[in-house]
Amino acid sequence: MILFLQSLLSGVLIGGVYALIGIGLTLIFGVMRVINFAHGELVMLGMYATWVLFVQLGWDPYLSILAVAPLLFVWGALLQVAVVNRALNALPQNQILLTIGLGLVMSNAVMLGFTSDYRILSTSYSSSSFELGGLSVSYPLLMSFLVTAAVTVALSLFLLRTDTGQAIRATAQDRLAAQLMGIDVRRMSVLAFGLGAALAGVAGALVAPTYYIYPQVGGAFTLRAFVIVVLGGMGSVMGAILAGVLIGVTESLAAVYVASGLKELVVYVLFLVVLLVKPSGLLGKSRA
Amino acid sequence: MARLAPTAVLAALSLLPLSAAGAPVKLGFINSMTGPEAPIGENLTNGADLAVEDLKARGIDVVLLKQDDGGKQQNAMSAIEQLATGEEVAVVVGPYTSASSNAVAPLAQQYEVPLLIPAAAKEELTRAGRSYVFRLNAPAHVYAESLLDAVLALGQPKTIAFVYESTDFGTSVSNAGKQLAQKKGLKVVADEAYQKGAPDYRSTLSKIKAQSPDLVFMVSYVADAILLMRQSREVGLKPQAFLGGGAGFDTAQFEAERTISNLVYSVTQWTPDTGWPGAAEFATRYQARFKKKPTYHAACAYAAVLVAGEAAAGAGGDPRKTREALARGSWTGVLGPVKFESFDGFTNQNRHVMPVIQYQDGKAQTVWPAQFAKRKAVYPFPGWK
Amino acid sequence: MAATSVRPAARAALRCAPAALAIVLLALFPIFVTKPYPIGIGVSLFLAVLVGSAWNILGGYAGQYSVGHAAYFGVGAYTAVMLFERLHVPPWFGLPAAMLAAVLVGVVIGTITFRLRGPYFVLASIAVAEIIRLAALHFRGFTNGAEGFVVAGAPTLHLLGLELSLGTKRSFYWLTLALAVGAVLVSRAVRRARLGYLLLAIREDQDAAHSLGIGLAWNKNLALALSAALTGLAGAVFAGYTRFIDPNTVFSLTEVSVRMVLICLLGGIGTVHGPIIGAVLLVLLEAVLVTPRGLVTIGLLPSDSALVAFVGKWLSPAYLLVEGVIMVLLILFAPEGVAGLLRRVRARRRETAAAAPSPAP
Repeated sequence: MILFLQSLLSGVLIGGVYALIGIGLTLIFGVMRVINFAHGELVMLGMYATWVLFVQLGWDPYLSILAVAPLLFVWGALLQVAVVNRALNALPQNQILLTIGLGLVMSNAVMLGFTSDYRILSTSYSSSSFELGGLSVSYPLLMSFLVTAAVTVALSLFLLRTDTGQAIRATAQDRLAAQLMGIDVRRMSVLAFGLGAALAGVAGALVAPTYYIYPQVGGAFTLRAFVIVVLGGMGSVMGAILAGVLIGVTESLAAVYVASGLKELVVYVLFLVVLLVKPSGLLGKSRA
Repeated sequence: MARLAPTAVLAALSLLPLSAAGAPVKLGFINSMTGPEAPIGENLTNGADLAVEDLKARGIDVVLLKQDDGGKQQNAMSAIEQLATGEEVAVVVGPYTSASSNAVAPLAQQYEVPLLIPAAAKEELTRAGRSYVFRLNAPAHVYAESLLDAVLALGQPKTIAFVYESTDFGTSVSNAGKQLAQKKGLKVVADEAYQKGAPDYRSTLSKIKAQSPDLVFMVSYVADAILLMRQSREVGLKPQAFLGGGAGFDTAQFEAERTISNLVYSVTQWTPDTGWPGAAEFATRYQARFKKKPTYHAACAYAAVLVAGEAAAGAGGDPRKTREALARGSWTGVLGPVKFESFDGFTNQNRHVMPVIQYQDGKAQTVWPAQFAKRKAVYPFPGWK
Repeated sequence: MAATSVRPAARAALRCAPAALAIVLLALFPIFVTKPYPIGIGVSLFLAVLVGSAWNILGGYAGQYSVGHAAYFGVGAYTAVMLFERLHVPPWFGLPAAMLAAVLVGVVIGTITFRLRGPYFVLASIAVAEIIRLAALHFRGFTNGAEGFVVAGAPTLHLLGLELSLGTKRSFYWLTLALAVGAVLVSRAVRRARLGYLLLAIREDQDAAHSLGIGLAWNKNLALALSAALTGLAGAVFAGYTRFIDPNTVFSLTEVSVRMVLICLLGGIGTVHGPIIGAVLLVLLEAVLVTPRGLVTIGLLPSDSALVAFVGKWLSPAYLLVEGVIMVLLILFAPEGVAGLLRRVRARRRETAAAAPSPAP
């Protein structure tokens, strides 16, 4: 029972970070209907930025979020304007290829700059934990979960309470109608991509202290993010949160009760099942 | 290396129709200079570079043609093809990883170019009866043997858990470990292979913790070794001893992670304080030159390039004659006595003894076997700080 | 009467002549050039044509963008190698077995994924290939896991009384050349057959095609079966050529699945000659980027060439960077690939030619 609760707990905590990555992706999809296959690479950039700030300036990874988020926001907005925006009317398949290409560019550019060595970020709390009712709670995981929760709440408030947030949501609901109502959908798209990238960057900073960092680390995050977004329903922020936690828990339990080497496989199978049984996802509206 | 034992110099001299007069002898070197294994690969490159200098200082003119495999078997295979057929080297030292060596060994045999493996553990590499494949370091079963012998001398563990990456190296060492553990009456309570690249081992380690094993045996490369120990600390895994199977558990990076490396055991091919001729001096020189401590990989590559260079020079750069020189010769150096023998199903395998180290307050100390031990081992593991 | 019926045939023969000549020249090439480097490039090129044409049948004609073709490539590779290594089945039987296995896997995958459209199909195809890769890594007892297989001996292919030793690069050169030509012919035949038109109809509008009574599932599965068989064949030959396979190589998302799409994208998706153009461009590019020293060994560049040193140091480890840039540029500016560009240029020339008064024949 302890074992079950323990892996459930780790799963939920890790799922928080997954959710953050998924939210970014779902936001981008919602506003632009573009599936960003370079999303994991944005997480990877966030990890490297955190690592550089830590090694060069001695910034704590959680503090570096304050720099990493705006950095990735600008980078995401730039990508949107320079590349993705030009392909808004392309075939969805071509958009996927486009962002796969972008991902290759990012991961290999980083490889040139930083080599493909695995980097490890060692902080004083990298391996610390505390006991809670017989369960050990990882301090870095708990921190990242709390930051994720805070970011998510802030994002929801932004989307629900501010004019710009409302405009983003309107664009996501119906691009054409939003345009007719005088919303600058181009600006909303730039904003959404920037936000999505910033969230990915924050996620990168959050996992940096407990993961290792290498140029191809993004791939695993991209694929997880897709599973999360499809599972939660494309474009649904709440769905992404729920699905992120669900995927975290599934992986964690699969490692214990199926096999360590099969935890990702179990996630993909779950993904296929959802695609086939309820393609609109857990919280998504059905698509025509 | 002026400190090379006289017998070796004599052995080398007796073979020499001194090639120094002609063109330099070409040596191939395949290593993981980029890719995930690069942090370890760097040590091998450094060791090899020092060996080339020493060969030159002794009047043996060699060029070392370095090829990077990036940790990928395909690259290693095209590297040996290039070295054997394009550059026509006398002998190839490398590759570093078991996986690459496994892919390259049949090609060495096919192209009839001697391959001297410096540090790869996979058992089968020298068990296929290949006359052109030599191995300097001890194979996988010795890793397990040394570690288990050491802890069984220190305490009475009853159960053991295995966590390892599912690569040639990881499965080789842990398979040998499992067989040996059963033979020695230990009960294997967990057997967890993981895929590298998704470094969240908390659930796996919790599962192991639930079995409360007396020993936890881990086999990993650098980054995973550190993460496995970090997360062991997080989940509060507390066996009588953590046993690391070389590689990632025997690096400067791991040593530097004091909080998590403390009192972890690792088996190793080499330590500076074994008393092997020149070992201590090699360590000082290496430290002065590269500003860091040499790992066993550096010493293995150093010794391998020396042996390969001498054999190749004596054979006038001819691969076939170099093979004969390797098969016949014997050397003594930083890795102790070196002789390639056939025994118990092995071919051209050096009978190398592996010491066991324990990290004590951020320093690796040799604790086993008795003739090498400089410190008393701490057993059992008292718990996390 | 007779003359008019002969003339188109003669014209067709004439149009085939350059291609036939090119094939003959390519076939004679290894007799004059024996250096392993150019021969190796030839093998990579022909394999690229083979996989490109294979992908094109499903992705190009039927419009089903699979980014999971590594599944068939890997299954083909594993089938042939495991039959050879475990059961000592000669490759002569291993190759058809590899194709069959790929088709079987394809039918299963098709049944699952063809219910999905557009991006969902793409995602599902990736997921399936990843599942197979992870399973191959995990079930070590069956697949050897990450250790993979080293193909030990050089098998001999007995073909029509000939003994073709598969130990040399040259024999692989001829084998892959023949397979590439065969694949292009299959692709051309499909394009011209009724199936080709049905697939195009499905690509343009699935619902319209369905309402016209075109069986979606049957035709898509047929295209997939052909595509999977050729891809599996390529995987098996690749395994024999490199003599080493492991799950992360033959089931690789970027190095197999995405690369297959890139070959077609570069040349022109949905055309018969697109994959050929794409394969030539991509393989030459990779050759220069990945193994610049090869240019020295064939005497094109001096051994101290600064270019070789630069590429070797900066671009070789990250050749996928260049491929990524090309992918992005293609989608943005030339989504129909080089074939599309050529077509546009030709159309413009024809326009100008039509505008000018043409001399009577």
